[in-house]
Amino acid sequence: MNVRLTVRCVALSIALFGPAGTAAGDASDEPDRTITVATWGGPYERSQVKAYFEPFTKTTGIRVRTERYDGGLLELRRQASAGEITWDVVDMTMADNRAACRQGLLEPIDHAMLLPGLDGTPADQDFLDGALTECGVSQIVYAMVAAYNRDAFPGERPARIADIFDVQRFPGKRALQKAPAANLEWALMSYGVPREDLYELLSTERGLRLAFRKLDRIRDHVIWWTSTDEPVDLLVTGKVAIASQYNGRLFDAAVIHGHPIEIIWDAQLYEFGTWGVVRGSPRREEALEFIRFATGTGPLADQAGYISYGPTRRSSARLVSTHAEIGVDMRPHLPTSSANFTTAIPKDTEWYASLHDRIRARFDEWLGQSESGHTGLATADALPERQDDRSDQ
Amino acid sequence: MDALGGTFSRIVSIALLGAVTGALAALAAIGFVELVATLNDWFFISPRSRFMAENAQWLLFATIGVPAAGGLIVGIIHRYNPDRRSHGPPDVIQAVQSLEPRMSLRSGVLSAAASAVSLGAGASVGQYGPLTHLGATLGSLVAGRARNSRWMVTVGVGCGVAAAISTAFNAPIAGIVFAHEVILRHYSLRAFAPITVAATVGYVFANVVFERPPLFRVETVDASSAPEFIGFVAIGVCGAFVAVLYMRAILCSTRLARRVPVPDYLKPMLAGAALGLAALWIPDILGLGKETLRFAVIDHAFGAGELLLLLVAKILATAMCIGFGFAGGVFSPALLIGILFGALAGSGAEVILGELYSEVAIYAICGMVAVTSAVIGAPLTTILIVFELTRNYDLATAAMVSVVFSNLVSYRIFGRSLFDVQLRMRGFDLADGRHKAILDQRLLKDYVSLDFTALSPNAPLDEAKRRLLEAGRHEGYVVDANGIYLGTVTLGELETKQTGDVRGPKLTAGQLARPEPLILTARTTVWHAMEQMGDFVGESIPVLEDSGDGRLLGVVFEATVVRAYLDTTNSIREEENAGG
Repeated sequence: MNVRLTVRCVALSIALFGPAGTAAGDASDEPDRTITVATWGGPYERSQVKAYFEPFTKTTGIRVRTERYDGGLLELRRQASAGEITWDVVDMTMADNRAACRQGLLEPIDHAMLLPGLDGTPADQDFLDGALTECGVSQIVYAMVAAYNRDAFPGERPARIADIFDVQRFPGKRALQKAPAANLEWALMSYGVPREDLYELLSTERGLRLAFRKLDRIRDHVIWWTSTDEPVDLLVTGKVAIASQYNGRLFDAAVIHGHPIEIIWDAQLYEFGTWGVVRGSPRREEALEFIRFATGTGPLADQAGYISYGPTRRSSARLVSTHAEIGVDMRPHLPTSSANFTTAIPKDTEWYASLHDRIRARFDEWLGQSESGHTGLATADALPERQDDRSDQ
Repeated sequence: MDALGGTFSRIVSIALLGAVTGALAALAAIGFVELVATLNDWFFISPRSRFMAENAQWLLFATIGVPAAGGLIVGIIHRYNPDRRSHGPPDVIQAVQSLEPRMSLRSGVLSAAASAVSLGAGASVGQYGPLTHLGATLGSLVAGRARNSRWMVTVGVGCGVAAAISTAFNAPIAGIVFAHEVILRHYSLRAFAPITVAATVGYVFANVVFERPPLFRVETVDASSAPEFIGFVAIGVCGAFVAVLYMRAILCSTRLARRVPVPDYLKPMLAGAALGLAALWIPDILGLGKETLRFAVIDHAFGAGELLLLLVAKILATAMCIGFGFAGGVFSPALLIGILFGALAGSGAEVILGELYSEVAIYAICGMVAVTSAVIGAPLTTILIVFELTRNYDLATAAMVSVVFSNLVSYRIFGRSLFDVQLRMRGFDLADGRHKAILDQRLLKDYVSLDFTALSPNAPLDEAKRRLLEAGRHEGYVVDANGIYLGTVTLGELETKQTGDVRGPKLTAGQLARPEPLILTARTTVWHAMEQMGDFVGESIPVLEDSGDGRLLGVVFEATVVRAYLDTTNSIREEENAGG
């Protein structure tokens, strides 16, 4: 299964992390002491090199070679069926990690091997809830958030997720992702439904009806985006007042490039980036050693000094300080910082994994009811509309 | 020093009783709730699992099959339970009120198991009743270990109940009040202290250790306006009728189930299959219905017709499940029925007033507490639950109005609570006070004495007189060869007849005997005997066997009955007025 996820993740990877980087470890003279890590390239991979790979090699002598990974399970399945396992460790979305685990493409991981937090907290209590899965150890938290252009709201500014559905108080176009995720959660949450109950309620006909009813109220004000390159442009050029986007990109636009963009952290929809060990890897022990090292309190905290994704350990979150290059305090920019995290919604990856086709169909059906045809800029540069169809069976 | 040491050890043991019971009951409550949620996920009861199910046919099969299979398991568990049913709050109330607070561990465990299966399989029953009983059982167990005294066990039961409610609702004060208002029904400082400790421990477990989300949360409810308070009174009054309808439906269904010619252990299975079939059409009636509870506080989540349909469906489903032998409580369905009724009332108010001043949530919650407080007979507890869950003073004030009017009405037309009415149907009537209920449970056969002189009907008077004199009694009981009581002769009468009629025909005791004006039977209760004894003058009262053929079982002395009465009232007074 999961080509649908694959393709989605290709899009995601390009969007989130930019063009691929190259091998991170030094050229190796001792192939038996080198592990291959499949990861996403770009500034994201560079943050991993600094925080994980280089210190790991220095400490253990094991070198790290990287290969480009763009999400999905295709390459893992190819390696498994060909019997040539060339990847040892792979950095996946939680949904892919779960799917790969279910299909026997990853090794189960005994979480008892993980290091305790620097403060002595046992690993299973130190990691955020849901960060540890049968075959995975999560390392970053990234979130879909709503953000607005400060210039669009000289008076009162939106602060809660319900505000994006209120075009009277907060006029202006909205750029939302042309997908059910985040939109449905935010719509229902704006009725005052607590985040713990969102997916139970979205699982009922009535819950979906209410969510779409809320989306109806802004239907004529929405520009639907499909590529993550779009929302920041739309915000910066003033074509929309509010947009949904992954938080790392917004950090880049607002802090690194100084655009007047503000994140509404209320109801951020977060998910995990997760390490897995490829089943059948001849360097399984080294791979596990790497994960054990890289998910320690220190390295997780260090990574957040290069990119605004939150560490999955509570003990690491307390150690995060400034951006290693521009010196900005990173803590207020992480999804996991306590001020941002109080109303965070954990994305129910199992729910999406099981329901993808049906929930997508419901969403498209609702979109189709739109006469005005605000389908946004979905055509020019982006991925085909049903990019994420399942086809790897 | 000794006195000081004694006081100290007493305080420690009371605190320990509260803390240990609180911790155990809280863990049990959390475990129970988690178990039910897990079973609901596994067996396609929770909306999320139903929605995620890929195979529609399999889902259809599970919707009918799971409640039916659950029913069969419950029926089989009940065969091993004393009384062949699950125990719940009424049994806890009876145990405590009748001064026999020790709970059976076997019955506690089996009832909890049957309830977990019922709820897990989606039966339309509640979880708080089973939690209350489980908490009470654990409290009784802890107190029984600590020290073998009755009041300790009573307090232990109170602690367990308070901790269970405190944990389940995230509402410690409501837990404390529930234990007093529904179970103990009096306040004593001695009980209050450990119960408070237990409720607090429960709250700490629920919030700090496990971080359980509360049952429901209402984000913002604005202050309501004066005209709407009239509406809240009306919701209270109408809510009472909804509550009475619900309770009568349960009692009616219980009677109906008895007449169904199917072995008892198969009845829950039938109800489960019927429930599943109905759920294909209205899935909201399955299980606890937490999602429906949540939707009801959202403006216009339902149309008025939907609300009415769901309200009726939930009453029928719950009555059927409980009547036909699923194990579980009546509280959670009452919350749901009440909140649907409240939302319906809100729609009605909107039609009348044009536009609501307040959100529909405030109406829904008033309806919820109106129905619930009438069902469980706990006005204070329900008000506090609202207050502790929402921390909203305006909302609690509005709820308070509905609650008191609901209780006033339902008390008049039904009774204090479903629990009390069920107990009355079992012969334990608390309506006229606890001492009456206890003495109404005690039968004279336990107080009968064989300390009397039986005379044959053929005995000559002088022989009768001689025997009475020898025994030092004033009364002799004339009993025939089969043990049938014929009447009583007194020493005075014997004396008169003997001296007055010397020349007459020789009389026998049988001829002289006259039945006593007051004759009791083995199954007469002590309370009944007390009432009858008002005009009785005499040495002792004959007590006949229950068979109805007039055989004499023995006699009971007035002093014995009075002592039984005094002992009971003294025990009650001691328990209810105890200090620290």
